Amino acid sequence: MSQVVLEKIVKSYGEVDVVHGIDLTVDSKEFVVLVGPSGCGKSTTLRMIAGLEEISGGKLSIGDRMVNDIAPKDRDVAMVFQNYALYPHLNVSENIAFGLRIRKVDKEEIKRSVSEVAEILGLTNYLDRKPADLSGGQRQRVAMGRAIVRHPQVFLFDEPLSNLDAQLRTQMRAEIKRLHARLGVTSIYVTHDQVEAMTLADRIVVMSAGRIEQIGTPMELFMNPVNRFVAGFIGSPPMNQIKATIVAGVDGPEAKISDSVSIPLSRAEGLASATGQSVIVGIRPEDVLLEAAGGEPSVPLEVNLIEPLGSEALIHASVGGEPFVIKTPTHGDIAHLNDIRQFHVNVDRVKVFDEKSGSALYQADQARG
Amino acid sequence: MQNLNLYSRGDKLFVRINIFLLTLFALSTLYPFIYIAAVSFSSGSAVTSGEVIYRPIELTLAAYEYVWNESQFWVSYMNTFIYTIFGTLVSLLIIIPGAYALSRPQLIGRRFFNLFVAFTLWFNAGLIPFFLNMRDLGLLDSYFGIIVGFACNAFNVILLRNFFEGIPQSFEEAARMDGANDFQVLWKVYLPLSKPAIATVALFCIVSRWNGFFWAMILLRDESKIPLQVFLRQTIVSLTNDEEFGSTLLEAAYSYETVTAAIIVASIIPVLFIYPFLQKYFNKGILLGGVKE
Ligand SMILES: Nc1ncnc2c1ncn2[C@@H]1O[C@H](COP(=O)(O)OP(=O)(O)OP(=O)(O)O)[C@@H](O)[C@H]1O
Ligand SMILES: [Mg+2]
Repeated sequence: MSQVVLEKIVKSYGEVDVVHGIDLTVDSKEFVVLVGPSGCGKSTTLRMIAGLEEISGGKLSIGDRMVNDIAPKDRDVAMVFQNYALYPHLNVSENIAFGLRIRKVDKEEIKRSVSEVAEILGLTNYLDRKPADLSGGQRQRVAMGRAIVRHPQVFLFDEPLSNLDAQLRTQMRAEIKRLHARLGVTSIYVTHDQVEAMTLADRIVVMSAGRIEQIGTPMELFMNPVNRFVAGFIGSPPMNQIKATIVAGVDGPEAKISDSVSIPLSRAEGLASATGQSVIVGIRPEDVLLEAAGGEPSVPLEVNLIEPLGSEALIHASVGGEPFVIKTPTHGDIAHLNDIRQFHVNVDRVKVFDEKSGSALYQADQARG
Repeated sequence: MQNLNLYSRGDKLFVRINIFLLTLFALSTLYPFIYIAAVSFSSGSAVTSGEVIYRPIELTLAAYEYVWNESQFWVSYMNTFIYTIFGTLVSLLIIIPGAYALSRPQLIGRRFFNLFVAFTLWFNAGLIPFFLNMRDLGLLDSYFGIIVGFACNAFNVILLRNFFEGIPQSFEEAARMDGANDFQVLWKVYLPLSKPAIATVALFCIVSRWNGFFWAMILLRDESKIPLQVFLRQTIVSLTNDEEFGSTLLEAAYSYETVTAAIIVASIIPVLFIYPFLQKYFNKGILLGGVKE
């Protein structure tokens, strides 16, 4: 049992609250990722779990112990820092062994654990090197080695990959995933990179301004964002958001984007009463049809810029003066994309949010994963 | 030496002027040593007649023989070693944990304590109150008084504190996560990372102890406890006042100048040995690679 439970966790610095009462249960062996824009309190939350930051309010339990007032060393958690924080005066093997030495583990036992960890992380040939003589990826591995060698109940990661170049990051991401599958240790991982979040997480916690916006599996967040913030945060490029008004249509409510364009919201129970309400229609860049299959409402647009990505291209356009991005397969040719004058809405994928509160009113499609 | 061709004309001139000025500076600090060494090996008459400039004239070891046979010299030499070694150790024992504590952001009342230490840089009680204080504490004429009474130096504390503050906080946090307590964090992480700073502070302590003169003169009456510097002064005073020493021995191989020069040379030698030993700790870049900024 090594679940981590946060109940109404608050952090304030003097008068300023930076974390406003977070409730979160991380199950045993689960991999949970905290994402959110810079300054939203991800690191602060993680550091409270680590014990490096005092908890101003609420209750934190690890396993079945309440740990609010327990020192970091007695919480049985290990942390990988963004800057690695490897001890420069110690070589790789001593860095990994540091925690065990402090805990007065038997010498033979330490030796065995270190070589086992070095084996897992591919560090066997570097054990005698100082951190200064390692590449970024190797340092990152040593930092992980230092965490896993102690067999803690919980791993905490604070943006461990943000100092690596893109290629190495992809590689290490896979490695972290593999390690988690192998060791099965409860993990809490902070990042502001949503690709990392989507690929690593069992569940993602989206935070903003010290609050949790939504908790769910990557696909739940992608398919059913509960508000505009999550809709804009998860998915790349972000979901397009267009102003509209709910009107009564022939088959039920419709979202009227302009005088000539309305999107039918066929499955919108409860929206009927919302007629006249100002809303935001959310359309993902990839949920747009360039050729009508039959009957989809079409929206006129003006193409500003084409960004080829290879197999796909991004069309930066404007719809009624507002920016709008479309992601479409190129089939090897992008010249024709400049001639696009309109797109068709895949009505099965449309989201509708209340303009004022930003919360979702309508999700055309439900998550399947 | 770097390849001068890599510099522009203006830079070359700058480099040359620098070298010239630094050489001048080095010579001006070196010359007194050379002079004193030359005097100590010269005959008394040569020194008195002003012949000695940079090399010994009428080479003799007479001054050293005189010093060698002076038992008080050996007693005070020994004392200087005692004050230096134990004084430095006690200082480090107080300064290192003190500076570390003052460098921690989580220290309650940190601003107050820092101010408290810095305050003593500008204000102190002054000679008489300090003397009376030491007297009332029974610390006159005592090794303990000299060693402990001057163990804590605010400048060194601040120097080391600033160095500790410059070490990224994440080393402490990593060590805490690894299970270290405050002392282990200090001993196993911060100390090894601070060798250059600690070597600097240790050198300051050693040199100030070795050259320590004023307070030893004020606080010590007992001849058996005075350090070399005080003995040196006594020698100068007594020999200059000693008419006979100067005049009747006009033909003698030593004079009070050569004797004091010999004592000075003897007192400089150990310090010359310490610096190269500490030099290896003055290497930069020890933090390199541990954290990525
Ligand atoms: N010691 C402090 N005193 C006051 N405010 C602080 C302190 N430390 C952090 N904060 C504030 O707390 C908020 C959350 O900081 P935190 O480091 O948790 O953000 P983050 O989500 O990790 O951001 P990033 O992605 O940039 O790392 C920030 O607005 C920050 O300014
Ligand atoms: Mg952060």
